[in-house]
Amino acid sequence: MKSKLFAACFGLALLAGAACLGPAKAATVGPVTDPLGVVRIPKGAPIEIGGYWVLSGPDTALGLDEQRGVEVAIHDMGGKLLGHPIQFHPEDDQCTAEGGQTAATKLASIPNMVIVIGPACSSAATPAAPILWQAGITDIGTASTAPSLTAPNRPKGFYGFARTIFSDNDQGASDANYLYKVMKFRTAVAIQDGSPYADQLAHVFAAAFTKLGGKVFSIEGVTPTEVDMHPVLTRIASEKPDVVYMPIFVAAAAQILRQSKQVPGLQHTMIYGGGALMAPDMIEAAGPSIVGFHIGYPDISPKALGKTYPHLLAEYKKMFGEAPISGYHANAYDAAVLAFKAIKEVAKTDAAGNLYIGKMALRNAVFATKFEGASGPIACNPYGECAKFKPAVYEFTNANPKTFKIGVNPKRIWP
Amino acid sequence: MSAGDVAALGGARLPRLGAVGMALWTVRFLVFGVVVAGIIGTIVKDRYTAAQWFDFVLFGLTIGSIYAQIALGYTMVYGVLRLINFAHGDIMMSGAFAGLFVANPLENSGFLEAHPVLGMAAILAVAMTVSGGIAVLTERIAYRPFRRVRGLAPLICAIGVSFFLEQTFRGFFGSGVKSYPDPSWQRAAFHFGGVEVPRIDVLVMVLALAFMAVLYAIVQRTRMGTAMRAVSEDPEAAALMGIDIDKVVVFTFLLGGAMAGIAGVFYAFLYKQVYFYMGFTPGIKAFGAAVLGGIGNIPGAVLGGFFLGLVESVGPTLVLDGLGIPAPYQLRDVIAYTLLIMVLIFRPEGILGERMARKRA
Repeated sequence: MKSKLFAACFGLALLAGAACLGPAKAATVGPVTDPLGVVRIPKGAPIEIGGYWVLSGPDTALGLDEQRGVEVAIHDMGGKLLGHPIQFHPEDDQCTAEGGQTAATKLASIPNMVIVIGPACSSAATPAAPILWQAGITDIGTASTAPSLTAPNRPKGFYGFARTIFSDNDQGASDANYLYKVMKFRTAVAIQDGSPYADQLAHVFAAAFTKLGGKVFSIEGVTPTEVDMHPVLTRIASEKPDVVYMPIFVAAAAQILRQSKQVPGLQHTMIYGGGALMAPDMIEAAGPSIVGFHIGYPDISPKALGKTYPHLLAEYKKMFGEAPISGYHANAYDAAVLAFKAIKEVAKTDAAGNLYIGKMALRNAVFATKFEGASGPIACNPYGECAKFKPAVYEFTNANPKTFKIGVNPKRIWP
Repeated sequence: MSAGDVAALGGARLPRLGAVGMALWTVRFLVFGVVVAGIIGTIVKDRYTAAQWFDFVLFGLTIGSIYAQIALGYTMVYGVLRLINFAHGDIMMSGAFAGLFVANPLENSGFLEAHPVLGMAAILAVAMTVSGGIAVLTERIAYRPFRRVRGLAPLICAIGVSFFLEQTFRGFFGSGVKSYPDPSWQRAAFHFGGVEVPRIDVLVMVLALAFMAVLYAIVQRTRMGTAMRAVSEDPEAAALMGIDIDKVVVFTFLLGGAMAGIAGVFYAFLYKQVYFYMGFTPGIKAFGAAVLGGIGNIPGAVLGGFFLGLVESVGPTLVLDGLGIPAPYQLRDVIAYTLLIMVLIFRPEGILGERMARKRA
């Protein structure tokens, strides 16, 4: 009897939990009717804005830099939007699928969550965006570049996902172009770590490099927490590639960079990295082997960025007492500005001063808003791709992490 | 003798195989067949040189020596307390961090470059002291109250201690990666017969073996070691013989912690990265190594560590490459844990383990 009672209670608890995160439903609240429901913010109550990035571990700089970009945007608004204070909820997704799932569930459970900004990692965005959209919450990615997230055939769960960052379809093609045409390499091996970002970028690169006339011997796999890369590097050395392409994250990339110098046959082979490695932590982790290391990255020189970037840079330095610690703060800043513009566009206030925001209307406003952002022009296509890619290649020049400054160490060497 | 008698005799001599037994034998043959097919495929492909095969083995033995050192802590604590100390990987992490705070100033001052022996001795001494101290503290504060508690509570407590240590180090020292120094004497290599052997790999392996031999001598040849073995065999009888169980347990944690500290420093000198979560993966693998070798058995832990390291390093190339599986090194953990599962299925006591008496188990 007790066990039956327990089972019944457990079942009810599960149902109650599911109901809390259940799908958004059409509603009319105050002056707003919306097919996904309406967020009602009482007079004086805060507008809840969520965020999730990698905020711990070796890739912290990547996520923290973007969180700061959003904080500058909030600061620029005086901390208020439409007369309501902005309440910002940043979460740590640890750059993992599990972390993304947890962060999204937590953010979706906050009453009156209006919109969510982030993440940096496609691994986190892949499970998180559908969870948020299930609750009718639009999500604007800030550095999650996996092509599948904004592909025309993306699943319905991604309908509410847009991003103010380019797609790796562009990054992979640009890397292949640089390595084949500029460096004159003809053979390559790619390394991925099982994450959607690395896996998809490695395959895009391989397809583009092959199309140009090059040969990709293999796409090898490592795990992000692996430390002993010697065996996989020895295997790669047996293929004698001109270049090793590794669009992976800091911990594993630094190990590969260090250990490639010890593996016979790879000491002089070029190792080429991806955008996740633009961080002082990469210099710290890779030590002296960082010098001469090339990474493919968007061009973030002042000329390539938007007119408002100098203002963002000055505010960033003033607020956090240091220069940007990674390269996607402008994309995050633009994501926040996009969110604020969309909220202003659709929010309605009643006579008592309460604010109403339709969830589907907000999603549509995000996708329709166009402006000149700090990272460049922002205009979304129907699948949520809102940024343009300007290719560049950077080279690290110094092994001291304190010398990290984008444009100096690493310096832009192409175009 | 009639045909019926012969059949009866045959039936008496041959063990009867039930459905489960048949299934297990089928699995054995399948696994054996896959491994043999993979090895033949690799030999036929003939992709790697002899020097590269030597490198695969060397890399496996090097990481294996680290697993072996960590596994010793698991196996000793299990032998004495029947507790799986899941915080042991984090105790290794604490040793690596402690070593870092000595290694960096020594490197910056040029002392580590000029006096490698003294420098390493100082780094190891601090790492052993800190990790041994933390291990003793965890025993005294977290595990002792659970000493006589049966069930899962001690295991849950160990997992809690693991999280506590990780988050404490994260809180104090940040969540980013810190880099160990890389003195020139570690970067050098030995050359013989056309093969290049990194000096740091040899150093780590030789020192690890030396420290493990010392630990084995302590357990086998000293009074405290004898007491440890007595407590491991039968704690109640050992107490009746006048052995101070608390003292033995503290000594076991101290010894295992100090060995973890050494492993942490070696691990960090080999792979150069230190951060708060670094102990988790090697800790889990070392636990697997301890089980593989026969948990509670010291030579078994060492053998299990080396075996696991070798399988991880050589297995993907030797077996998966021959089967034509792309990116075989992404499956190195799959190979390692499949091996562990196979051992647990077919030899639950581990490679060198002995079946425990009902009272011990």
